[in-house]
Amino acid sequence: MEIDKKEVLRYLGYKNQKIDNNMIDLVDECCKEIIDISKASSVYEIFDIERKNNQIFLLGSTLILKDIDIKNLLINSKKCVVMAATLGSFVDSKIAYYSRFNITKGLIMDACATTAIEYLCDELQNKIMENALKDNLFITTRYSPGYGDFSIDNQTEILNILDAYKKIGLSVTENNIMLPRKSVTALIGLSEIASPKSHESCEICKNSGCNFRKDGGQCAKKNKF
Amino acid sequence: MGDNVRKKINFNDFLLFDGAMGTMLQKYGIKMGELPESYNILHPDIIEKIHREYLDSGSDVVTTNTFGANKLKLKNTLYTVEEIVGSAVKIARKVAGDKLVALDIGPIGQLMEPLGILSFDNAYETFAEQIKIGAREGADIILIETMSDIYEAKAAILAAKENSSLPIICTMSYQSDERTLTGTDPITMVNVLQGLGVDALGVNCSLGPNEMLPVIAEILKYSSIPVIVQPNAGLPKLKDGEAVFDVQAHEFAEYTKIMAQMGVTIFGGCCGTTSDHIRAIKYELNKLNPIKRDIKKITAVSSPSLTVVLGEEIQIIGERINPTGKKKLKEALKSNNMDYILQEAINQRDAGADILDVNVGLPEIDELKVMVSTIKELQSVINLPLQIDSVRYDVIEAAVRIYNGKPLINSVNGKDETMDSIFPIVKKYGACVIGLTIDEDGIPATAEGRLKVAEKIVRRAEKYGIDRADIIIDCLVLTASAQQSEVRETIRAVELVKATLGVKTTLGVSNVSFGLPRRGILNRTFLAAALTAGLDAPILNPLSQDMMATIHAFNVLWNKDIASKKYINVYSSFEGKPTTEVANNDRDLNRIIIDGMKEEAKSLTKELLLTMSEMEVVNKYLIPSLDIVGQKYESGEIFLPQLLQSAETVKKSFEVIKERMMASKDKKLSKGKIVLATVKGDIHDIGKNIVKILLENYGFEVIDLGKDVHEDVVVNAVRNSNIKLVGLSALMTTTVRSMEETIKALRNNNLNCTVLVGGAVLTEEYAKMIGADYYAKDATQTVKFARKLFKCE
Repeated sequence: MEIDKKEVLRYLGYKNQKIDNNMIDLVDECCKEIIDISKASSVYEIFDIERKNNQIFLLGSTLILKDIDIKNLLINSKKCVVMAATLGSFVDSKIAYYSRFNITKGLIMDACATTAIEYLCDELQNKIMENALKDNLFITTRYSPGYGDFSIDNQTEILNILDAYKKIGLSVTENNIMLPRKSVTALIGLSEIASPKSHESCEICKNSGCNFRKDGGQCAKKNKF
Repeated sequence: MGDNVRKKINFNDFLLFDGAMGTMLQKYGIKMGELPESYNILHPDIIEKIHREYLDSGSDVVTTNTFGANKLKLKNTLYTVEEIVGSAVKIARKVAGDKLVALDIGPIGQLMEPLGILSFDNAYETFAEQIKIGAREGADIILIETMSDIYEAKAAILAAKENSSLPIICTMSYQSDERTLTGTDPITMVNVLQGLGVDALGVNCSLGPNEMLPVIAEILKYSSIPVIVQPNAGLPKLKDGEAVFDVQAHEFAEYTKIMAQMGVTIFGGCCGTTSDHIRAIKYELNKLNPIKRDIKKITAVSSPSLTVVLGEEIQIIGERINPTGKKKLKEALKSNNMDYILQEAINQRDAGADILDVNVGLPEIDELKVMVSTIKELQSVINLPLQIDSVRYDVIEAAVRIYNGKPLINSVNGKDETMDSIFPIVKKYGACVIGLTIDEDGIPATAEGRLKVAEKIVRRAEKYGIDRADIIIDCLVLTASAQQSEVRETIRAVELVKATLGVKTTLGVSNVSFGLPRRGILNRTFLAAALTAGLDAPILNPLSQDMMATIHAFNVLWNKDIASKKYINVYSSFEGKPTTEVANNDRDLNRIIIDGMKEEAKSLTKELLLTMSEMEVVNKYLIPSLDIVGQKYESGEIFLPQLLQSAETVKKSFEVIKERMMASKDKKLSKGKIVLATVKGDIHDIGKNIVKILLENYGFEVIDLGKDVHEDVVVNAVRNSNIKLVGLSALMTTTVRSMEETIKALRNNNLNCTVLVGGAVLTEEYAKMIGADYYAKDATQTVKFARKLFKCE
């Protein structure tokens, strides 16, 4: 696994302030520690899509997609990948530990872990893309519950159909918080035509108060579009 | 208890369970995401058929289709636990005839505290419900399986023991690194589960039979009870976008043969296995007989991820979490300052302690409540096994019950009343216990006398079914100033007890020097003598370099620290280094705070306090520097981690100042008390912790209620401490609801406090909507607001 230090700094709200070597060393140390304690694991399944009554059914599973944005994402897709990935619970306990006894390190570790889980998802997505290309299929962007109008309630069902708790120890609470915390669920469409990259933007995201957006930057989600 | 007549299960012979339920259901067309347990009601014929297939292929036991049949998983379905478990056992019972029915209990599917929000008690209740129904309907065995978290396994085992009299089998799932997802290694699993009194233990799921072999070997080394193995049919491989298991029946059965020859006696299959696999195993088992294993008996205590074995290297029991004679700790216990206690634990761990003694006995606090919360907190930050130390039996029982692992109880002694109170607890919860060689007649003067008491303790323990390997004898150290002639008797007693009873020993070493000057000299010399006599686990202050040096040296000289590895590791860095720190005269505290050089803050603050009062340091250095840092942060000149480093630097300074003020007792630093909490259902607390440190920097006293805090807890804290300002944090749109409820609860209780809210999804508008008084966009704003409210400016 690799952690992009620039990404870490971006999550920390870094905007070219002067930082000394101690801070740089600390970020390096945190990146290393997150890599050491991560137990990265992931699981995915591919389903055929059926469209009926303005809904998308993933055949052989109980997942039914009704939200507009996710239907738009899959508009040209004939298959849909359902994926989940996690860094495991040691990352959580280490971050909790530091956030209590060394808050600076806790905050930086948290940012490193966020970067790491995105990296893990990117890797998995690349693998999925390569496999798809063999069948002459293109992938859409990766789309997670909570993006646009794709309800975060879908998380439970996604984890359920992947049997994610048994396979990778990933659970979700009643309040839709995934545990371990540094985890992602997402859908990726597989289509015979390459998907346009432009139709998603920050504007469709519900997080209107996002600091990244205020600053004219992009969050991790946006980066993938 | 509604158990039917118990079937006799012969654990001395092979026992063959069935294979996967899920894999068979897939054959019958179940969709991914569909509730497998719903088939008990919608398609009982299919379940019946699957059970029958397994029985026909040779299973001695069928497992009910109840893996996920708990109230939390079934919450948003059409079914109750009663319906699902009841029907499942009925179906299995009907088909099984004179074969056995195992009630299947899988993990609840939620992470337990402290990583998740599922409490131990809630887990217990959830399992108890399933178990009561299953036992009533005629299950013969309770199979607790696929556990990752040994804490959850403990909750399930206790629920099974306390709500039925059925035999219990427990399996955990291992990853390829030979640990479970939450970090439990095989030795720890055996040490904990065997202690809890299960009838068989082992491993299932996650891995195929080949990958499981090293884990199985390790389990077999230590387990004195039968071992069960239920592997997957290999590791899942992706084929056409579908996960498939590809270890076929005959190959699977080959592994069974290997495992049987290693000493495994109970078999079955997990994901990917079918009746073909079971038939093939049966075929192999018919040709084999169970073997007799050599079992390594150990005296060991465990945290969830670490087992400390006594009798090999010297193991150090850290004594510092005990208020006797410790003013600061007393203060911390009284004011519920958990951070101080945890810091003591961390310091001892870092100094080399292997086990930590925990004693919170103070007359002015609720010892039971504080003990339970201290154990929970310690478990959340430290992975050393704990020694539970109290004179109250109810405190000990409550603590070992919620303890995660195999604890050490401090202590029992030779008095009948004590033994008959403590041993049932030791037995039930599978603890180790320290036995003090004192009885109704006091401490015997001679070594022989103490041996007699030790013998009495061991015998009585064995009557309670406790293995003597779980007893650690403390021959009691007397003080040289009062009973000089008897000091040697303790050393002799250690030798005698070890030689005669073959048990491990401990001693509270530093008692020896009480009342004499330069206690360290006597302590370390006595320690060396005791180690030579065979002391296994001294109880001492690991922060004493003298004591630690003696132990490190002894481990080298007695050939315990092989190749002097640890010794070299500890001491090689000392070579050629000056022993005193170089004074940094030209450093200025303001600069240090602004630069966030937290290591230097303490010494410099101490220096300043030589010529200034505490308040002068606060007002001339800490507050002005903080203001500068705050401004720099707001203007974007520094970013958040830099702000925090400065905050932590101030915190170090404050520690020195507070210590000084506590000694002088005449001044008060607090600018006001503030309650902080991350609301119920939410577990994000970095933001809250940032707010906390900044508020404390400015002299506010923060009552930190933690994360996932129920509204009642907030209400009580506000009421009890007459709080004027409450800060609530929530990071999810879903948990802002709990924030609203908390605010409502505060208002409904007519508590006259101001509520300030913050968190990623909140906005000014949103905050108003849920009834908050103020919204703060970040920690510096919160501080500004607090200073205004408490009129600090």
